[in-house]
Amino acid sequence: MTQLSRTTAIERRAAAASIGSDLDSDAVFSPSGALEWLWATFTSMRLALALMLGLALLALAGSVIIQAPAGVASDPGAYNAWLQGLKPRYGGFTTIFDKLGLFNVFASVWFRGLAVALTTSILACSIKRAPTLWRAAVHPRTRMSETFYGSAPYSENIATRMSTADALATTQRVFRANRYRTIVDTDATTGITHLYVDQNRWAPFGTVIAHLAVVIVLVGGMVGSIMGYRDEGFAVPVGSTVAVGGGTGLSVEAVSFSDSYYDNGAPSDYASSLVVYREGTPVAAKTIRVNDPLEVDGTAFYQSFFGPAAVMAVSDASGASLYQGGVPLLWSSDDDTRRIGQLALSDQNILVYVVGVASGRVDANIRAGQIQLEIYRTGEQQPIAIETLDQGEPLLIGGLTYTFKREQQFTGLIVARDPGQPLVWLGALALVLGCFLVFLFPNRRIWAAVKAGPDGAQVSLGATARHDAAFAPEFTKLTEQVRLAFAGAA
Amino acid sequence: MFKMSEYSFMAGLISVGLALLCYVAAFASVRLARRQSALALDGGHAGSTMLSGQSVEVTRGPSSLAGYGTLIAWLALIFVSAALVFRTIAVGHGPFANMYEFSIAFAWGVLAAHVYFERRYHLRALGLFALPVALLLLLYATTIPSTSDPLVPALQNNLLLTTHVAVAIVAYGGFAVAFAAAALHLIASYTGSRRLPRLELLDEISYRAVVIGFPFLTLVIVLGAVWANVAWGRYWGWDPKETASLVTWLIYGAYLHARVVRGWRGNRAAWLLVAGFAATLFTYFGNLFFGGLHSYSGLNQ
Ligand code: HEM
Repeated sequence: MTQLSRTTAIERRAAAASIGSDLDSDAVFSPSGALEWLWATFTSMRLALALMLGLALLALAGSVIIQAPAGVASDPGAYNAWLQGLKPRYGGFTTIFDKLGLFNVFASVWFRGLAVALTTSILACSIKRAPTLWRAAVHPRTRMSETFYGSAPYSENIATRMSTADALATTQRVFRANRYRTIVDTDATTGITHLYVDQNRWAPFGTVIAHLAVVIVLVGGMVGSIMGYRDEGFAVPVGSTVAVGGGTGLSVEAVSFSDSYYDNGAPSDYASSLVVYREGTPVAAKTIRVNDPLEVDGTAFYQSFFGPAAVMAVSDASGASLYQGGVPLLWSSDDDTRRIGQLALSDQNILVYVVGVASGRVDANIRAGQIQLEIYRTGEQQPIAIETLDQGEPLLIGGLTYTFKREQQFTGLIVARDPGQPLVWLGALALVLGCFLVFLFPNRRIWAAVKAGPDGAQVSLGATARHDAAFAPEFTKLTEQVRLAFAGAA
Repeated sequence: MFKMSEYSFMAGLISVGLALLCYVAAFASVRLARRQSALALDGGHAGSTMLSGQSVEVTRGPSSLAGYGTLIAWLALIFVSAALVFRTIAVGHGPFANMYEFSIAFAWGVLAAHVYFERRYHLRALGLFALPVALLLLLYATTIPSTSDPLVPALQNNLLLTTHVAVAIVAYGGFAVAFAAAALHLIASYTGSRRLPRLELLDEISYRAVVIGFPFLTLVIVLGAVWANVAWGRYWGWDPKETASLVTWLIYGAYLHARVVRGWRGNRAAWLLVAGFAATLFTYFGNLFFGGLHSYSGLNQ
């Protein structure tokens, strides 16, 4: 018999294999079959497991392997230079890691692909499970067979001297007193009265909430990365007003900036007093600090960094002003002795690098109270002039008059607008609540059957095994109470 | 107050060490007894039956060596709690601002979780793996200067910082117990040792511990995101520490699902818990490996 069935199984497998390998066979692609396969795949817990562990592995790579900074990753030239810089560190692996996208893991096809697959899988699972959970909560199965009470992991048989009606009422009272919902279901054909009791019947929806919450967070993240705007290097010299990009239509004036320090030199506070304008009219004003941003119509301004600025004035031959305001010296030279800022005079096709000495440093060419200008025609490699300016003394270079008025500070802000945020926070809240709901309020279900015995009613109680450590003592406690109630009433 | 905190800390450290010694000695003495009785009875089977009786005694007996272990573990918890309270009074904010404070707090979480689970499941064997974790954390704390520097601006958001870290401690404590039970599971399953608790009981404990740890870790990450958003204007930036916490979260998430996948129960699930705890430690010690926005003032000076 066994021999026989094994042979047929082998034959069947062989037949199946030949169908698969024979391209000219009659086997046609069936859309419904493919859908079924997809459904089965995406609702499989094995896939869910693989996806989560796969994402964990990629994320681990992303936290161990250095990741290309945002500005570098998007600029091929800068990226290649950055890669060269990594050669000493990663050697031959540099190229391999690069080919695998491991220097920008979170934007790689692998990571995104797995994230999309996980989202699909979560949705599929939720769709599959929700009706089952709903039925269990609203129309639970109330009748269990005799064998259930014989084989259930938790079961108890109690003989009473009561009538079946009294025994039922007593059992029900005990469960009600323990805050269980009770449903009575009498089977007219067998004469057995079934009692179903449960607690926290909505808690299993915590998993549905938690699952959908993950999707909401991911969607929110996507919305943010597609529709959001972020500038981490938005520098505003004190006293100047700078336009914000990203179509926000806002501009920001830094009224003042202050940095304070503890006695040991560690920073204690950075504060910038800002005024935000929309089309020239002030719409908001606030002194922002680290951890205390200013938000205007969904665009938020965060205190991030600060540094020196040079207040410059540029005018043309007719004396008309071309530029008036601070130039933040955002960059440091490689040896950290100089600070460099950029001033673009686009109408004149002129780009000016403004170079100052870093605080506490000495430079042979630029003395205190001086600033150096390197002036380029846009797109050219050779400067048309390199000149050092004394504070307050205008200098005519290439037909334009440049004046270095004074030193100033700039405050560096992060500007962020993220329309995905409400979704992310909603999802995060739902995720936390969902998790706590599942785990804090265990769903408990117990079945009982009351039938007439020789001396009185026989009561059987049973429950399935749950991963719920507190259930075993709970079941014992409840059955003891039922037993006591029978004894007390008798 | 600083002195008081340090004395309590040292007392805690010593107690954890002593408690661990008691557990190890209790465990070893059973092993010895087993060999002797196996010899005496000239039959491995009879010997081990008798010993499973003994092991019950060792794990439950109030006056045994292991009983002292439990008592001292409680003492350790009290000392470490006192150290944290004195420290809070001394520095004027929750003891969560540098690696020194955080290591003690982490050790406290491990001790508290251990004591709770040991009491609830009458399972002293947990201490064989949970206490070393606490001990190592406390020893690590002794290598860090215990000075308290004023908070850098990003850490000045007291309420968020305090809850973020306090919640993390609960999660990490849970994971440490899950790890201890998983380690026992693996040893019991590979050696077939009968002196260790039943595999089902160990699974149960791991699961209960993760059930506490996972929601709390979720909360830690969400609070971290809120904090990052307040400080840097983004809730997520793939900062290595954030990423490592995501790895941890995904591993424990996978574990919760592995339990219902055929072939993933038992040893594989236990390995996941070991990996999860490794990820937890990696997240925690991550600052030592990578820079990042998470500035803990004790280390980067
Ligand atoms: C990051 C993504 C996910 C998270 C955070 C998550 C979270 C959870 C949580 C917290 C539970 C409760 C576990 C328990 O009661 O022990 C759970 C259970 C469950 N999850 Fe997920 N899940 C995720 C992905 C998935 C996916 C992709 C699937 C679909 C294959 C899935 C299917 C299920 C099922 C069927 C259960 C019930 C298991 C049981 O009966 O105990 N989950 N999930």
